[in-house]
Amino acid sequence: MNLKSFIKKFSLVALSSSLLFGSSLTVTEKTEAAQQTGKIVVAGSSALLPLTQQAAKEFKKANPKVAISVSGTSSIVGPQSVSKGSATIGACDWDATKPVPGFSAFQGLNAYPIAVIPFATIVHKDNPVKNLTTKQLQDIFAGKIKNWKEVGGKDEPIIVVNRAHGSGTRVNYQLKALKGSSFMTQGENYKEVSSNGNMIKAVETTPNAIGYTDLAYIKGNIKAVSYNGVEATVTNVMNGKYPVWGYGYLLTKGPATGANKAFIDFIQSKKFQQGSLKKLKFIPITAMKK
Amino acid sequence: MALPAEHVRIQHEQMKTKQWRMKYMKNNAFRYACLVSALSLGVALFSIVIFISQTGFLVFKDVSWKEFFFSATWEPFEEKYGAAVFIAGTLYLTFLTLIMCTPIALAIAIFIAEMAPNWLKNIMRPMLDLLVGIPSIVYGFLGLTILIPFIRETTGTLVGDGFFAAALVLTMMVLPTVARISDDAICAVPQHLREAGYALGSTKLQVITRIVLPAARPGILTAIILGMTRAIGETMAVVMVIGNTAQFGWDLLTPTSVLTSNIVMQITNVQFDSTWNYALYMMAFLLLFISLVLIIIIRQLRPKGE
Repeated sequence: MNLKSFIKKFSLVALSSSLLFGSSLTVTEKTEAAQQTGKIVVAGSSALLPLTQQAAKEFKKANPKVAISVSGTSSIVGPQSVSKGSATIGACDWDATKPVPGFSAFQGLNAYPIAVIPFATIVHKDNPVKNLTTKQLQDIFAGKIKNWKEVGGKDEPIIVVNRAHGSGTRVNYQLKALKGSSFMTQGENYKEVSSNGNMIKAVETTPNAIGYTDLAYIKGNIKAVSYNGVEATVTNVMNGKYPVWGYGYLLTKGPATGANKAFIDFIQSKKFQQGSLKKLKFIPITAMKK
Repeated sequence: MALPAEHVRIQHEQMKTKQWRMKYMKNNAFRYACLVSALSLGVALFSIVIFISQTGFLVFKDVSWKEFFFSATWEPFEEKYGAAVFIAGTLYLTFLTLIMCTPIALAIAIFIAEMAPNWLKNIMRPMLDLLVGIPSIVYGFLGLTILIPFIRETTGTLVGDGFFAAALVLTMMVLPTVARISDDAICAVPQHLREAGYALGSTKLQVITRIVLPAARPGILTAIILGMTRAIGETMAVVMVIGNTAQFGWDLLTPTSVLTSNIVMQITNVQFDSTWNYALYMMAFLLLFISLVLIIIIRQLRPKGE
């Protein structure tokens, strides 16, 4: 008797709870479906990839009906695939609606800044040089200054490590640190690498090398050099003293609409900017003094 | 009373026809499945060639073929598309690799096939097969972190990247392939040729250099050319150790660039429908063309009827 009634009670409870749970699920689904539906395809910059990936994960949790796919190759792919229509959002390390060295402007796109990315000049840890001026950097990267002793270092030849043309880091560094002056293209003390990772490996293993990378990547056997006497730190970027940084942008064809607008709004929201974005070592756009 | 027997016979016949038809259909279906598989491969190759060449040849609308093939100035942002550095670089690097690789690979093959005791053979062969399977990025990474600092310290050069580093890495990569295939070729030489040689009083060296190697020549050539195609097409390992600079690096220690490394460095960073993009496609077509020519040579070298 006892057992029977227990089973009865138990099944009753299970049934009703599952009904309740089920109905409550359908209710929430309905309200969320009312929020956002649609498809978001993000393509472009690999530097912004960790950010867009994290944002997609959180956005998907709040809007399960939205299909999001995120990929990262290189900056120029962002505006290109949005123009072509193969992506709804393009991520790019520079404002592709304006011309930059080596790339013309893209017509009909809207750009939304989503993060601040600081960059730094890097040398090997054992290099005594602590500070370089704009003029010195311009001359080093143009191949005019060839020895470290000319800028206060050891009597050793300078080895210039550069990113390949089209890299978002290179575009920003050229614009902000070198003020648009051009790079050398050949020489026995010059080489190009294909990614931030290879840049760091190259400078780490070459005592007389100079290069540049995202500030967030600096650790191990490399160190950041001050720029015109200002140390490359996040604080100096935020208080406006250190000028070598750029915005990361999301681009859409025409003004963003629907789910895409909601996604961009989500990334620009205070909650995401102060939370996950900071954790990923980017600087919130709101932190900048204009 | 003969009727039922006749009936049974006819039924049996019918069943046999049915079975036979089923077998026939299965047979046919299998034949078509195989045919379609084979055809799809041909279609894939054909469309690759068409697509790459179509896009590639667009470059000659803006650049004269003289400039493309003979100018050494590659400055796409200034509209200078001279690919001579990369074409010469690819051929030079392949040549260097073969010079370094062939003697060592042959020595390994001869050792395994002619001299090593059986237990050593059974270790060496699987070891070479394992080496063939190591991904190229691993070789590239080792080259970047170990080989380049080593070259810089021993030669006193500034950067360390260049043809020497790339050729060393490629030699390491190609060596097992060439050694393994040459080994097979040498083993395929009939035993009685060697015995005849010894019977005439030849030494081991004479037998190997005057009988075995000439007899195995077509197989060894195939091995070398297969290694060569791998060296020409290798990208990831090369891009990490060559320096990626558009200048000639004849002295082996100057950073330079080849077709594959230049394509992989730039293809994701150029605008679609730009001359630069077309120039990179043209380079890809050249690579394809070079390896097709090499494969045709392989087929010609093989003895007829094989």
